[in-house]
Amino acid sequence: MASYSEELLDRQNPDGGWGYSRVGSSWTEPTCYALLALAAGEVYSSEGTRSAVAVRTGLQWLTAGQRSDGGWAPRSGVDESTWVTALALLLPADLSAGDRQRASQWLLSQSGRESGFIYRLRLRLLGVRLDANQQFDGWPWYPGTAAWVAPTALTFLALQKLNSSTRDAQIEKRLAEGKAFLLARRCRDGGWNHGSTQALGYDSDSYPETTGVALLALHGSNAPEIGNALEVAERHLRASHSLEATSWLTLGLLAHGRSPAEVSVMPHQGTVAISLAAMAGAARQGRNLFVS
Amino acid sequence: MSASPNITRRQWVAGAAGTTILAGCGTSLGKLAPVSILRAASYTEDLYALMQRIISEHRLDVRGKRVVLKPNLVEFDQNTVINTHPKMVHAALEAFRAAGAADVRVAEGPGHRRVTLDLADAAGYFSTFPKFESLFTDLNLDEVTKVNLIRPHSKLSSLYLPNTVLGCDLLVSMPKMKTHHWVGATLSMKNLFGLVPGGVYGWPKNVLHWAGIGESIADLHTLFPRTFSIVDGIVGMEGNGPIQGTPRPMGIVVAGADPVAVDATCCRIMHIDPRRVSYLTLAAGEAQLREDLIPQAGEKIAAVSAAFALLPSLESIRLVNPAPGS
Repeated sequence: MASYSEELLDRQNPDGGWGYSRVGSSWTEPTCYALLALAAGEVYSSEGTRSAVAVRTGLQWLTAGQRSDGGWAPRSGVDESTWVTALALLLPADLSAGDRQRASQWLLSQSGRESGFIYRLRLRLLGVRLDANQQFDGWPWYPGTAAWVAPTALTFLALQKLNSSTRDAQIEKRLAEGKAFLLARRCRDGGWNHGSTQALGYDSDSYPETTGVALLALHGSNAPEIGNALEVAERHLRASHSLEATSWLTLGLLAHGRSPAEVSVMPHQGTVAISLAAMAGAARQGRNLFVS
Repeated sequence: MSASPNITRRQWVAGAAGTTILAGCGTSLGKLAPVSILRAASYTEDLYALMQRIISEHRLDVRGKRVVLKPNLVEFDQNTVINTHPKMVHAALEAFRAAGAADVRVAEGPGHRRVTLDLADAAGYFSTFPKFESLFTDLNLDEVTKVNLIRPHSKLSSLYLPNTVLGCDLLVSMPKMKTHHWVGATLSMKNLFGLVPGGVYGWPKNVLHWAGIGESIADLHTLFPRTFSIVDGIVGMEGNGPIQGTPRPMGIVVAGADPVAVDATCCRIMHIDPRRVSYLTLAAGEAQLREDLIPQAGEKIAAVSAAFALLPSLESIRLVNPAPGS
């Protein structure tokens, strides 16, 4: 844990954000994960320390990046808010209430294009039956495109966290849809891939990282499908070598009360993987910031 | 069509001139840059010598240049052959280095898996390349620049693209020869989908699907028309490609300086009619895809071609009268 935090502190850019790699410019995704990881390590409270300075400047970078529509772009220079908005909302009470409200409204305005009225009307006019797994409303990576597993899982977690303090009927409706979306997008083996369970009638298999993040989002669910998914996640964990994949799997399994094994991983990793590993380490000690 | 074992000076000059005519006028037809079809029975053959031959025959002057090799890394399944074989890419890397390139990198942005190094590890890249991670750029997470599309075929008006590719002197597309369940065949042009950064658009790069797959392929070709292509056809994939198909041993490598010419030739080898592949007609026009406008070197198409299994929905793109002898 401590070494991951130190590595993250070393990787912080002078502008306060973090890049995907040690030398890259600042992006929203690695910045949010780095801040979450530092929060999971409880360095927020260490006033005056290097960590506290890093968190403060990181949050300044992040809050300055909120767009007028309430969302965040992947990085400066990209003129579109995207799924990374969910990550900013996952940060523990670091945004003002107004900023959180605008961010949540932006997320609620987004849904997969396949669940839009025009797309469904077109299918109906063409006499095409809607796939069972397309009946529920998830979230896309990028506005105007289809919904997929990872952005749906992460937005679900963000809105669930927000809703735990302020009950909102609109949010609860989308949470129910999001949960149904994730359960419907399971692959034939019981886990999750990017979100396409079949291609032209041919079944697809799951990936480690998406199985982990989907299980994390479904924490607390008693759906009968979860048991099989947990077994798939444990199988993936034994076979995976990347810090990012094993961290998501660890977070997902811990969220369901399992005790995932420690596994050896490849040494060369990016900022997101290091942050997730720090969060997985904190979750092993009972502090899972995604769900608490 | 006749084929010579090597690219003649006349073929090379005619191809280069033809490409210029096409680019300059838009409607004039001319010969495209020549395409080499070379035999390589397996990945244990001397692929380094084969790559050297390609660089030499196509007069690729890479001295002091930055070269980016773009393989096709999608997913890993030990039961089939989804990805460009790492030995092909390693041989190309060594050959371009030996030809004097200042820097040669391997770069890819997989469309489904965001843990790229995990995928590369499973696909054998770490065991093939010493210190692979130091040679590799994950295009999904690279720095990006917004590029506007002038007269796009798709619904896109611009794309954010990775600086590693925008800043290189030579982009080498190294796809696997595969069928594709939506666009018929995935070759050097479709391989450029991997340039579009997941860090901006997500995994998959679904914005390209909604903008029109064939149209987006043609747009990416417009942005990178001078991409050199080296197609891994030693073992290709037929049937429900690009992921769930079955291996198809072909024992060939196809290369050339014009992606349209290379892909059209590969289609003919696979018994697919290039004039029925939407992105090829969008990129070059149906008339330009005539076989006699693509100078051939090395093996003849007829000597190496074989009918790739196609999904029933794609039978309409089957080449009706493939070259005699194939």
